[in-house]
Amino acid sequence: MRVLTYLTHRLLFVIPQLLGIILVSFLLVKSVPGDPAVLMLGPTATPAAIASLREALGLDQPLYIQFFIYVKNLLHGDLGTSWQTTRPVLDDLIQRFPATLELVTLSLLVAIGVGVTLGLYAAKRPNGWVARLADLYGLSVGALPDFWFALVLIFVFYTLLGWAPAPLGRLDMIVIPPPSVTGAYTIDTLLAGDLQAFGSALSHLALPVLTLGLLNAGPILKMTQSTMEKMLESDFSRYEVLSGIPQKLVVRHALRNALPSIVTIISVLYGFLIGGAVLVEIVFSWGGAGQYAVQGVLNSDIYPVLGFVLFSAIFSLIVYIVVDLIYVLLDPRISN
Amino acid sequence: MKWAPMLAKLRLFGRLALIRPRFTTGYVIVVIVAILAILAPVIAPFSPTEADSLSFLQPPSGVHVFGTDNVGMDIFSRAIYAPRIDLTIAILGTGLSALLGGSFGALVGFYSSGRGIRVWLSFALMRAADVLQAFPIFVFAIALVASLGQSIQTVVLAIAFVNAPIYLRLMRSQVLSIRSMRYVEASQVNGLSDFQTIIRHVVPNAMGPVLAQLSINVGWGIVLTAALSFVGAGVRAPTPEWGSMIAMGFQNVVTGQWWPSMFPGVMLAVTVFGFSLVGSSIEVLADPAKRRHLLSDVRLRDIARATKTAKRSSLGQV
Amino acid sequence: MAETSAAPLIAIMDLHVDFPGANESKEVLKGVSLTVQPGEILGLVGESGAGKTTLARSILGVPPTSGRIAAGKVIFEDRNILDLPEPELRKLRGSRLSIVVPNPRAELNPTMTVGKQIAAMARIHLGVDRAEATRLALAILRDVHIPDPRRRMNAYPHELSGGMAQRVVIAMALICDPAFIISDDATSGLDVTVQAQILSLLGGLAADHGSAMLFITRDIGIAAHFCDRVAVMYSGEIMELASRENLFLRPAHPYTLMLLAAFSHSPKLRDAWSVPETGVRQTQKEGCSYSSRCPIAQPVCSERRPPFVEIRPGHFARCHFPVSHE
Repeated sequence: MRVLTYLTHRLLFVIPQLLGIILVSFLLVKSVPGDPAVLMLGPTATPAAIASLREALGLDQPLYIQFFIYVKNLLHGDLGTSWQTTRPVLDDLIQRFPATLELVTLSLLVAIGVGVTLGLYAAKRPNGWVARLADLYGLSVGALPDFWFALVLIFVFYTLLGWAPAPLGRLDMIVIPPPSVTGAYTIDTLLAGDLQAFGSALSHLALPVLTLGLLNAGPILKMTQSTMEKMLESDFSRYEVLSGIPQKLVVRHALRNALPSIVTIISVLYGFLIGGAVLVEIVFSWGGAGQYAVQGVLNSDIYPVLGFVLFSAIFSLIVYIVVDLIYVLLDPRISN
Repeated sequence: MKWAPMLAKLRLFGRLALIRPRFTTGYVIVVIVAILAILAPVIAPFSPTEADSLSFLQPPSGVHVFGTDNVGMDIFSRAIYAPRIDLTIAILGTGLSALLGGSFGALVGFYSSGRGIRVWLSFALMRAADVLQAFPIFVFAIALVASLGQSIQTVVLAIAFVNAPIYLRLMRSQVLSIRSMRYVEASQVNGLSDFQTIIRHVVPNAMGPVLAQLSINVGWGIVLTAALSFVGAGVRAPTPEWGSMIAMGFQNVVTGQWWPSMFPGVMLAVTVFGFSLVGSSIEVLADPAKRRHLLSDVRLRDIARATKTAKRSSLGQV
Repeated sequence: MAETSAAPLIAIMDLHVDFPGANESKEVLKGVSLTVQPGEILGLVGESGAGKTTLARSILGVPPTSGRIAAGKVIFEDRNILDLPEPELRKLRGSRLSIVVPNPRAELNPTMTVGKQIAAMARIHLGVDRAEATRLALAILRDVHIPDPRRRMNAYPHELSGGMAQRVVIAMALICDPAFIISDDATSGLDVTVQAQILSLLGGLAADHGSAMLFITRDIGIAAHFCDRVAVMYSGEIMELASRENLFLRPAHPYTLMLLAAFSHSPKLRDAWSVPETGVRQTQKEGCSYSSRCPIAQPVCSERRPPFVEIRPGHFARCHFPVSHE
């Protein structure tokens, strides 16, 4: 019951936030030059055809009416149409978003693995070499441009060593994609029992996941390190040491208390990576939603951009709400 | 503002800056890049935009130290000309974002409680900042550049907009924490206007965190500029810019000619790394608590080295 | 420094603890030596900042944050436990040597039930399984007179009152039947009635288990009723050490006299020995650290540090001019 009231509270706040995001993106993309009607019909269109298409699309209306029309369509599930693919944006995104999600989720797992492990070691021995390495890692890696790092990895592992496949998408050319259940190739190939395709999908995921995962482990590492240091210096950790509790248990208990902060930064990173994976998607021709949005902007195709911003915003908000729910369940102090 | 204590602080700062090798490395990198940018016309052996189509994709050699790209331009010359563009854009954009965001943030902090309509405006501004920060950064930047027209100025504006919320929040929290301190109330009682109070008290205290953030943001700004140019939405060819150079050499990397992309890429990475180090050093040196921690760390290391006997201490205990 | 002929249970020898800082080290314990006989309750009285908590924790080898044990020994069961490797020392802590800490709600793990925390002590130190540990925890909670222990076991620290939390911490210190208990200011912050209950509980339990205790407090009056012998501590040094009778009937050190006088009914006595706080705590480099506040200080007091002298059997004072009661 408590959970339900909490959820409704949060959702009430979410709606104005969402509206704000939609409004800003709407204004932004509306100011991108390029007449959609002209672009859709091509250079051979007659002025009459253009005019009637404009009227059909509602482009001759004042801006605020266009906005209302857009929101109204949104509520009906209509995110507009992309003139490049000539398909509804919703369909395009449903096809592409799982690719981004799969990439981002696996990268996040790598980032958590690297960040939490290094952060824990660094907190346990603040003056050891692991701590110094971790500090340097946090500083340097977060600053590296991901598109360049991806290029370095491609050069080393594909051009020089030949271990990785060519950076041309999610599967080898000759492999047929599995029937789409979740959209994530790793899951779908396993569900279909197609081990060859599974291997192909994994090998294509290796470099982009490594890029995103290693470059974004920094914030997780820093948060883990600083929170764990604080916890290990806290009164209750010292009391456990005074009571003779062995080191492993003290660290585990401290980690329990540090989890909220670490989970927070992971959730923020998750939402950030949806949009932050764009460059990696482009480098590896991933066919993901971010790449779709960038192509939209570069070609004055506005609805894909709006749709993508909406998807990623909603995704972030869902992640935040889920995380908050986890807190309510985890921390005994909050539930009272 | 009092100058003498600030000068003393700067001197102390200078001495402390040399304590850790990572600090000095950062400053050295930044200085070298700045020098390259300034002296590029003097040092560069070739023109950065002149293409010699007969000698394209030459590997590094005595003549072309970094080799040539696929239209025959000398990569070394372009690579050392590039910081002029990248640094300028990043510094201008970041400076603008700090100015805009910072001043609004200070105002928001000041008027976040109290009289009527200003409270509402502050609230609205904060929510606007929330919305701005919820945007996927890169998409937002591209959209801005596309909507305002692709030029150096618009890239600067894009950087400014993307980073402004950071300074907004920073200054707001600085103002809020200082407001509650007694001596600010005292100066208000003494009849200073709000504006004067801000200048006198808030700005000196906020300097440290703002400078640290500025340095890191300049690094980010360079990356954003390069990223925008990489996808073709930033600085246009043939203007030398690290991102567009990487894009131009992209396909060649896959086929084994690594030099058109790698050299600018390494320079980009190292430059951003340098700014990141500088930012982190300012962060430590400007915060008195962290400064003490640093000094005690150094002192403890010396003690440990001097006295071999390491008796039980609470450090590294767990 | 032989005090009694029987072998002490635990001997703290010349303990020096300092806190290295950015500019210079601050020495908090300047060579503290104490012994505790089996089964005895030794009181340690001192004001805030005297170094009592530093001593309490350093005995177990865990000085407070950024502290460092520079020199000294703690001899227990024929070994210097400060020289033991950390895992060995952890086996002793909580099982043979335990501590009761003040401000328990801040010291207990906020995300674990108190029952689990007490049971953990039994599981780790006694090696029993979960069911047995829970049984032992329940038993010890009854011993410390917590009402409705079965329900309280599943409570979180923030749900308990100060007095209850203090009982929990005492339970944790006693569950493994230690030979030596350090009670660091265990009654501070509690209501007077609760204080009295906790004190009688501690005393009773120590007697039942046959444990020795180092009873640290700021209140010399409590020490009077509770302890067999009392040590008085000031600024990191032991100033006086005596049996209960000697300390209260024939106090020798001016600082002890000041502490006692504060409780006295006679205004003349209070005025004679108390000195108002100067506000700034001056660190005395040479001589007796109390000389700046001492009403009977002579020039020699700020020049030479007074030795710890036995002024009658079992009664020691660190003063050039100990007060005579003959």
